[in-house]
Amino acid sequence: MENAGRRRFLTLCLGGVAAAGAAAGAWPVFRYLAPRAAGDSGAKVKIPEKDVPEGGAKFFEFAGASAVLIRKRGGELAALSAVCTHLGCIVQWQREKQEFLCPCHAGRFTAEGAVISGPPPKALEKLPFTVADGTVTIG
Amino acid sequence: MSILGKAVDWLDLRIGIRELVKTSVTDYLLPRNINAWYSLGSILMVGFALQVVTGILLLIHYVPDSEKAYASVNAIMNVVPYGWFIRMCHAVGSNLMMAAALLHMFSVLFMGSYKRPRELNWLSGFILLNLIMGLCLTGYLLPWSQLSFWATTVATNAAGAIPVAGPYLVEFLRGGKLVGAPTLGRFFALHVAVLPAAMVGLVGMHLFLLERIGISTPPFGQADSRSNRKGDAFRHDAHPGGLPFFPNYLLQDLTSISVYLAIFLAVVFFDPYLFFPKEAFLPANPYLTPAHIKPEWYFLPNYQTLKLFPSELLGLAAQGVAMTLLALLPFFDRGEERHPMKRPVFLACTVGGILLWFGLMIWGHYS
Repeated sequence: MENAGRRRFLTLCLGGVAAAGAAAGAWPVFRYLAPRAAGDSGAKVKIPEKDVPEGGAKFFEFAGASAVLIRKRGGELAALSAVCTHLGCIVQWQREKQEFLCPCHAGRFTAEGAVISGPPPKALEKLPFTVADGTVTIG
Repeated sequence: MSILGKAVDWLDLRIGIRELVKTSVTDYLLPRNINAWYSLGSILMVGFALQVVTGILLLIHYVPDSEKAYASVNAIMNVVPYGWFIRMCHAVGSNLMMAAALLHMFSVLFMGSYKRPRELNWLSGFILLNLIMGLCLTGYLLPWSQLSFWATTVATNAAGAIPVAGPYLVEFLRGGKLVGAPTLGRFFALHVAVLPAAMVGLVGMHLFLLERIGISTPPFGQADSRSNRKGDAFRHDAHPGGLPFFPNYLLQDLTSISVYLAIFLAVVFFDPYLFFPKEAFLPANPYLTPAHIKPEWYFLPNYQTLKLFPSELLGLAAQGVAMTLLALLPFFDRGEERHPMKRPVFLACTVGGILLWFGLMIWGHYS
């Protein structure tokens, strides 16, 4: 009985050491494989105003995702997330219609990002921006 | 009954796993005078497994493109969490595996374990050693550093000494006149697919032969150290009354593997750049050859031999003859005696050969 207890104790100790060793090896592997947090999530994106003509759009990467800066007819600017709120496809700017179309399931959004029709459950996310000295700063 | 017990019962019913474990593990007997040198094979298996795992992990972030390779390795080292650890394990592991493979070969040589009926074990082991060297050589280019570029230029250039076909062979190896993007493509394919697949196949053959023929008996501590294999019929070396592999020798295997891992981790953590000269930290520049570029320590004897001979062809031929003799050793060394002290000519040649090899390595290093 004493031997059995001793054996169980040693097995537990060995198991513990093995588990600790496995964890010590698995942690770096997990960290190596894990998607990295966008280190530039707080970073601002600067776009020269002249890059966005009236009625046109400029797509760019913002905080690890696609975003778009548009200049509506009349000259007003808008910065939006370009990720469709339905299934995450990237919306396209319809210059003639002055609206966004998601090519995956024909979701339509206004130039302000509001849903016009189709499956998207909510509007495109609006991004904060400022304009100074001919440069649009998003973020 | 525990879940493990039920799982074993389930497997036993289908594939007779208890019988398999009995014949291959618990009742697989080894000679009573077996020593720690026999665990080098297990060390190499662990070393190879580590190379495969770390290699697969490196593949996730490495970009095999001459324009991006150096930057991707740099990112692995500096940006990817624990990337430095994975890469250092891979780089240090390759060097230590090479050392373990050489020790394995030396121990088999000294104990005469290559002799009949184990000629095929020796031959498959010899080819495995060459595959490890091939893996090291092809892996060396992948970081696309100055060291990678110029060491590969020098190594592939050596083939040019072969008469007639030499220049074409160099071009074929490189995929062009000079080392460049095509070289990286073919070395990458060799390093991650062709050579590891060949390794797995040959390791399987090596283990099959070991299991089928049985473990050799060390010649030490025995009155008669001659080979006891006579006659023409196949016979498994069963070692009646010997030590079971499990648990007895497994404990020795685990001890040796722990020592190996301790050395391995000590290098990784305390001297990770032991095998990295400063050229390894500069991106490849095809227009700027660094001074004193030298191959890895295990290729230094070959490098120095090439320099010593008046012609490169003679140097290559000398190495070819030495390698062929070593590969075919069990086919012409057919004496029954296995104890090194009772084989003075063999002992003198082997010790002389090893000293010459180390001498050339040191000479190559300081030349």
